[in-house]
Amino acid sequence: MTLPEPVETMASPLRMEYTFVAGTGRSVFLRGLARRQLLARRCPGCRMVYAPAPAFCSGCLLPTGPPFALSGRGEVATFCVVNFPFPGQVHQPPYVVAHIRLDGADTRLQHLVREIAPELVRIGLPVEPVWVDDAELDTSTTSIRWFRPIREPIGPADA
Amino acid sequence: MREVAVVSFAQSPCVPADREHDMAEILLPVLRRALDSCGLTRDEIGFVASGSHDFYEGRTFSSIESLDAVGAWPPIRQSHVEMDAAWAFAEAWTWLQTSKIKTSVVYAVGRSSLVSDLDQVLPAQLDPYLLAPLRPHRHALAGLQAAAMVDAGLTSERQMAEVVSRCLATAAANPNALRGGVRTGKENDAPFVASPLRAHDVAPPGDAAAVIVLAAGDAARRPTGRPAWVRGLDHRMETHYPGARDLTRSISVGLAAARAAEQAGFGAADVDVAELHTEYSHQEPLLVAALGLEKTVINPSGGPLAGHPATATGLIRIGEAARQIMDGTAERALAHATNGPALQHNLICLMAGEPR
Amino acid sequence: MSEPLAVIGIGQSVQAKRREVTIGALVREAVDAALADAELGFADIDAVVLSKTPDLFDGVMNPELYLADAMGAVGLPVTRVFTGGSVGGHAAIFGAHLVAAGLARRVLVVAYSKESEGNFTWALSRGLPFSSHLGAGAGGHFAPVIREYIRRARAPEHIGWKVAVNHRRNAARNPYAHLRDADLTVEQVRDSRMLWDPIRYLESCPSSDGSCAIVVSGAAAARRAPRPPAWIHGMAFRTETGHAAGRDEVNPLAGRECAADAYRQAGITDPAREIDVAELYVPYSWYEPMWLENTGLAAEHDGWRLVDADRTAFGGDLPVNPSGGVLAGNPTGATGLLRFAEAALQVRGLAGEHQVPGARRAAGHAMGGASQFHAFWVVGSEVPG
Repeated sequence: MTLPEPVETMASPLRMEYTFVAGTGRSVFLRGLARRQLLARRCPGCRMVYAPAPAFCSGCLLPTGPPFALSGRGEVATFCVVNFPFPGQVHQPPYVVAHIRLDGADTRLQHLVREIAPELVRIGLPVEPVWVDDAELDTSTTSIRWFRPIREPIGPADA
Repeated sequence: MREVAVVSFAQSPCVPADREHDMAEILLPVLRRALDSCGLTRDEIGFVASGSHDFYEGRTFSSIESLDAVGAWPPIRQSHVEMDAAWAFAEAWTWLQTSKIKTSVVYAVGRSSLVSDLDQVLPAQLDPYLLAPLRPHRHALAGLQAAAMVDAGLTSERQMAEVVSRCLATAAANPNALRGGVRTGKENDAPFVASPLRAHDVAPPGDAAAVIVLAAGDAARRPTGRPAWVRGLDHRMETHYPGARDLTRSISVGLAAARAAEQAGFGAADVDVAELHTEYSHQEPLLVAALGLEKTVINPSGGPLAGHPATATGLIRIGEAARQIMDGTAERALAHATNGPALQHNLICLMAGEPR
Repeated sequence: MSEPLAVIGIGQSVQAKRREVTIGALVREAVDAALADAELGFADIDAVVLSKTPDLFDGVMNPELYLADAMGAVGLPVTRVFTGGSVGGHAAIFGAHLVAAGLARRVLVVAYSKESEGNFTWALSRGLPFSSHLGAGAGGHFAPVIREYIRRARAPEHIGWKVAVNHRRNAARNPYAHLRDADLTVEQVRDSRMLWDPIRYLESCPSSDGSCAIVVSGAAAARRAPRPPAWIHGMAFRTETGHAAGRDEVNPLAGRECAADAYRQAGITDPAREIDVAELYVPYSWYEPMWLENTGLAAEHDGWRLVDADRTAFGGDLPVNPSGGVLAGNPTGATGLLRFAEAALQVRGLAGEHQVPGARRAAGHAMGGASQFHAFWVVGSEVPG
């Protein structure tokens, strides 16, 4: 018996729409972003400062304390350079995606670092947020366009 | 093997849509209540198991978010099934029987409300080449099953309406039910959603978290209350293809119930109360027949027809059945959980006030 | 563990872009091979555990329903486990628990992914208010962590290249591996395209279709097995929350505790000496030294020195990923179980051309999420005790 040519592809597109619920904890942080504020909260148990803060500490399970604004400054805890194009990409590579340790926080925030050549970014680089214009402010991390160096770095990247 | 018992069950009220809380925020208060009521702290919990499904959340790895409520720091022993959490319960029960671990938390954060249209989602459960492309709507296969039941004289629209009325009447006393109360009697004038199913025959989707605490051996014998000993548990799968099954009966329920009865030393027909995972009214007579539950109290909580937080619904059946034993109402109870189109996959859990 | 447990059958499919088979047929390849290895039929299997990564990857929800027939699971208990990339390890351990609890004599643990049938970009692009616009992908998540390791351990950059060469060359000995290259050189890796600096193209795992299955049994069935069993000496899983302030993703506590628990059960006090071969979950080359340290096979900051001294290469005293590992093939749902299965193949003496001579104890390791989920087992050629 001769079998037919195998079918190797068939299109079966799925379209599914969902509501995203940010939660009471994250909503505090997201509302702050819409006002150009990076809001943090402290766990009364372990004293760790979260930014963004959940409604309760995921270690101690205690409700985090009242929100307070951080300066927004911080330093690059670590980073990578995205070097290649892929579908759906918003930014032109190469660009730096960094884990930023905000001054006064014990968590890290992932964001872009720009206004510096990628090869000059290093761990420990002091950075500050660049906010979008008023009209673009939103309850989203996109309210921060990117982070930029506070002052010129010294020396080349070390890692 | 050690004897294992349910020592606590807690649930949040099933609401149509919780737009305020994330997974962890829904879970945390329920988890606290479950632990408080059996006098355990989270540090004493040896294993955490949960069940949920990304397709209800709309994002990958969604279950990770709920871990924030568990206190997975320092690290914990934890597992997760991408199914109804009744199967996480089975996993925890399995391990507790043989390990040094004494206690386990099993939880579900059921969120049916995030999906805008379940018709878009549920066909994805079907064979991706031959069935899913047909995109049957969410009730289509249940409708085929109900129609087959009616054709075979195994149920009627009237009996189905009575099932709904009875469930909703008892649900009026369940503070966690999404709907309940006396019916108008005109429900059978409503249009069909999938003939012979009408809107009232379908479990209303909602959001709720549920937590069960399991304990093994002496850890279950606490002064805080009467445990519900898990005497037998089994689950069985059927062929996927609805056309290859006799939809009017359930082979897998029979298999699972027989195996659970062997373990338990008593069978489904011997229980005082049964909580059945009936997402459609016609499935009650089907399950009652498969299990031989002629004289049993069925779904005193109101059952899924009073509220269906997907992936928590099965676990809640176990919790509600255990509650009947823990509060002394019942000596023996049965819980049933299901997944898949037209009851493809079924779990049976037999519990009693006394260990083996 | 009271009664000794063992792996008595192992099967896997070729890892590649497998357009010529359905998901069901892909899974069946591994299932048939595992049963053939154990000389068993479907009637000998009492329960099935299915391991799979997110259903959004290929668009099949609750795939245990559709796969019931292909897995021979009709009429059996089926459980679908999902914890992230570590899921294959979790599934194997749950399979062992089912046997230990007397609920099954033999459990078939099945794992697969068919990445070519879905769209990862779609599955992983969440239109959410957090980091949705960063567009960094999986490598973008792990690359900063690698950079932090390199800095802490003061590791030279050629270590990552060397790992990539070792694994891809090892894969040339494994007929099931997706990417096999016996002639790959450090220079080729070094000169390959930088994707997520510091990760280069040839230091990254591929996206593969593939399946794996194992049969777990108790001692009685293992002693009757036609081929040598792999005895389970220790097994553990651990999870830590990704959001706790102060957690260390470079050397996560959950991974350390997980391996330590398994060693304790196995009576191992000096892992580097007592483990003959390790199959570690290394999706990017630098994770070999990182996991060597995390799983106690090397001292902190010393993992890269083992690589540098060729000790983890195929002829070394602690070969890592003789199968080629994740760098040579990554069907994500099966990747964890493949590590566990490859460790078992080694102590059974059935690893073929990538057999490490005289391997008596082997470690299988799986990791998932943002290094939050860890699973680990130690298997041996001798009955434990």
